[in-house]
Amino acid sequence: MPKLTIDGREVEVEAGKTILQAALTLGREIPHYCYHPGLSIAGNCRMCLVEVEKAPKLLIACDTRVQDGMVVNTDNQRVRDARASMMEFFLINHPLDCPICDQAGECRLQEYATEHGRGTSRFVEVKNISEKAVDIGPHVMLDQERCIQCSRCIRFCEEVTGTGELNFFRRGQRTVIGVFPERPLDNGYSGNVVDICPVGALTLKEFRFQTRVWYLDNTPSICAGCARGCNIIVSVGTQRELMGTQGQLDESVKRLVPRFNEEVNGHWMCDEGRLSYQRLYSAPRIERAQHPAGTVVPWADAVSAAASALKSAAGKVAVLLSSRTTSEDMLAWRMLLEKLGGDTIGVRANHRGDDDDLLIRADKGANSRGAAWIFGEGATEDAVLDALLLGRVEALVVVGDPLDPVDTANLEARVREKIANVIHVGPFVAGTAESAAVVLPAAAWSEQDGTMANFEGRIQRVRRCHLPQGEGRPGWRVVRDLAEAAGIEMPPWTSYVEVLDSLAEQVEEYRGLDAESIGLLGAKVGAGTAT
Amino acid sequence: MERILTRNIHKDDSQSVSVYEAGGGYQSLRKALKMDPDNIQEEVKRSGLRGRGGAGFPMGVKFSFMPKDGDKPMYLICNADESEPGTFKDRVIIEKDPHLMLEGCLISSFAIRARACFIYIRGEYVHGARVLEKAIQEAYDKGYAGKNILGSGYDCELVLHRGAGAYICGEETSLMTSLEGNRGYPRLKPPFPAQAGLWGRPTTINNVETLANVPFIIDRGADWYLTLGKPPNNTGPKLYCLSGHVKRPGVYEAPMGLPLKELIYDLGGGMLHDDRPLKAVIPGGSSVPVLRAEQCDVDLDYDSLAAIGTMLGSAGVMVMDSSTCMVKAIERITRFYAHESCGQCTPCREGCGWLEKILTRIEAGQGRQEDMGLLENIADNIQGQTICPLGDAAAMPVRSFVQQFRSEFQEHVDSKTCTVAHAQAHD
Repeated sequence: MPKLTIDGREVEVEAGKTILQAALTLGREIPHYCYHPGLSIAGNCRMCLVEVEKAPKLLIACDTRVQDGMVVNTDNQRVRDARASMMEFFLINHPLDCPICDQAGECRLQEYATEHGRGTSRFVEVKNISEKAVDIGPHVMLDQERCIQCSRCIRFCEEVTGTGELNFFRRGQRTVIGVFPERPLDNGYSGNVVDICPVGALTLKEFRFQTRVWYLDNTPSICAGCARGCNIIVSVGTQRELMGTQGQLDESVKRLVPRFNEEVNGHWMCDEGRLSYQRLYSAPRIERAQHPAGTVVPWADAVSAAASALKSAAGKVAVLLSSRTTSEDMLAWRMLLEKLGGDTIGVRANHRGDDDDLLIRADKGANSRGAAWIFGEGATEDAVLDALLLGRVEALVVVGDPLDPVDTANLEARVREKIANVIHVGPFVAGTAESAAVVLPAAAWSEQDGTMANFEGRIQRVRRCHLPQGEGRPGWRVVRDLAEAAGIEMPPWTSYVEVLDSLAEQVEEYRGLDAESIGLLGAKVGAGTAT
Repeated sequence: MERILTRNIHKDDSQSVSVYEAGGGYQSLRKALKMDPDNIQEEVKRSGLRGRGGAGFPMGVKFSFMPKDGDKPMYLICNADESEPGTFKDRVIIEKDPHLMLEGCLISSFAIRARACFIYIRGEYVHGARVLEKAIQEAYDKGYAGKNILGSGYDCELVLHRGAGAYICGEETSLMTSLEGNRGYPRLKPPFPAQAGLWGRPTTINNVETLANVPFIIDRGADWYLTLGKPPNNTGPKLYCLSGHVKRPGVYEAPMGLPLKELIYDLGGGMLHDDRPLKAVIPGGSSVPVLRAEQCDVDLDYDSLAAIGTMLGSAGVMVMDSSTCMVKAIERITRFYAHESCGQCTPCREGCGWLEKILTRIEAGQGRQEDMGLLENIADNIQGQTICPLGDAAAMPVRSFVQQFRSEFQEHVDSKTCTVAHAQAHD
């Protein structure tokens, strides 16, 4: 492997790596705009110019392959001058409209201008003007003046989606990014161009003007939109509602952005997943316990009503869950059902469309794989419905979908007639929540810690990003409360970590795993048991 | 003096294959096809022929970068995108003696074992493209191109492609990108064209005039070629493009190393107006540093011009007399580069436009004392930091104009007007 010196420090990297990559292994980021690890090398921004001894000119670190004995300076006066001059070039025609720009706070122009710029401009001419607020697709707005022509978005559409909607138009300083007439940027992954845009040129319609980014509280989690389980960062607003009289925290999810995981989603996520958080706000939420549906009662009363219904139906209890339920909740329901002597448990399959070549899976059940491990392959919705029609069920627990009100079970009248008691546990007023005997609020997808297994059998952590609404609590807590009220002995779980321990004991695929070993990037099945 | 490159151009019907053949045309191709391609390369290398497009890179050395074997197809490109302001020498060859160029293309293709030769001609050369189209057809009809050329077993296709009017497409890598059907953007180097050029295949690209020299080198040998000009590094015949304030502008052929004053005062018939003396000369197309009148006792060849800080470039000699406003001149040149910058990389895209705006402002009488230093500094920040040489081409003249004619810039700033225009108005 070639050994080179970067700023006086020796480093050995694989042949074929670039200076920029080699510097990263030393923890040194060479400033860059056009380079993106998920895209081809364009070399156009010229921000990463470094000095390589024996080379007459400065070289771009993103496209210069390391060679044995190379001596690189990334921070001497010559390089700093070049960087400062690039910053000056970037900014002469930039509108500097940071106060109204959504990118402000996470803008590479701001960051590098602070770090590498001269602070003042020598430009006294009239700036070039071009179009602002250009609608280029269902999710993306373009500001041509803010654009620095790094071509990341163009390369994304060419290389990742292969759809090629974006391109450069015109020439020289008049160059702008744009789409072709009647060919909007609408390829199912268009939001990624907003993430990779280093400046405020591309903004997401659903996020623009919603909040300033420094008010966001960011939590690494996973998307529950489909069985891929893309690694993401969930950003929750923390800004007090200035216009409101109560000064309440606006604690809603503001956006999702992908988080790099080479083995799951790379750098990207789909638009449907990116906007899946909106479904959390698409239906009224169950905030209080109800008995029957529509009549708010204290939590303990509702729990004891549910518990006695379950007890009196012992042996004839069934549970129907969403395939987005966390493994922890699934295990809790399985254990409760075992104690109640029932064996009818089913998971609602949720398939839509086809798998695509990139990330999207037809199976929208983010934890279908975990369900199969915990309940076995026979645990289907049909199994539950058959049992209902045969009159083998007296009490049915419906565990509602944590992300999507539409995917919550909605039992047909002829089926509902066969059972005395439906107990609905979920976050949304949807499906059986509107008619159940007992309704218990549960945490939605972004409100609860847990794990899910994606279609490849990778166990990943979904994280609590903000507090549940109302009395909502994690599913396993609901189970624990029900068990307590029914006098059934269950482990005294106090956090999901303890439920995870139970999973590790009881489910083969989870053996040896804990929150730490699953970590931020998840764990492949068997990783924990490997010695 | 014997005319070599232009020996045919004044003949009647000089562009036809029969006239070309009657003058001994295509004999070099016959000779070359019987030679070992490596020996052709060696002969060209020994001749000292340097690229006539502007950079002056030795053609034989360029040949030697091509792989000697491998099953990948290889290509030759003839760069006929002559777009440098002040340059019109290739046009004479294309329009008047196209078969000389084609013969050079075919011999060079054979020397590098190219499967095809692509001729990329600038879009504005409409007549030239028509002439070439006809000449190519004649070459095919006569068996000089296509399959099994002259029974040698060597196949080479000739393909003519017209550009769409972008200066940047004269840069070799953007020419290839354009030829492939994409937006004419220069590519990062490495890889160099000889490694991965047109469609990723090993490619050699040469200027029209360079290729036109090859038949003579094959016919008469490198030893003869070395007697022309100033061996070893500045050899061969050269076409000089003379324009500006002279009595007889035009293309003149002379051995490499023609004294600049001989070109202006003898061949060019002297200054256009007898009462307006020489003020400045741009010796190699608008992108090279300008010379003051007192620097003009210089020979027009690569090394002599490099010694005084400028370049032979494309040998586009632009002569300016005392009526020329140097601020106005560089403003116009810079507007060209700002207009033609492809916009791919930051320093050229932003810098050229900035230079133009400053120069326009100074010429309009709104210059500031710090502008001259700023112009030089912006030029420094562009030069050497861009993907392709267009940035350098824009920066070099600006720096040289400011440095060579600083007092004239200063007068513009001090008097808040264009002093040259002002003086002429009051003559």
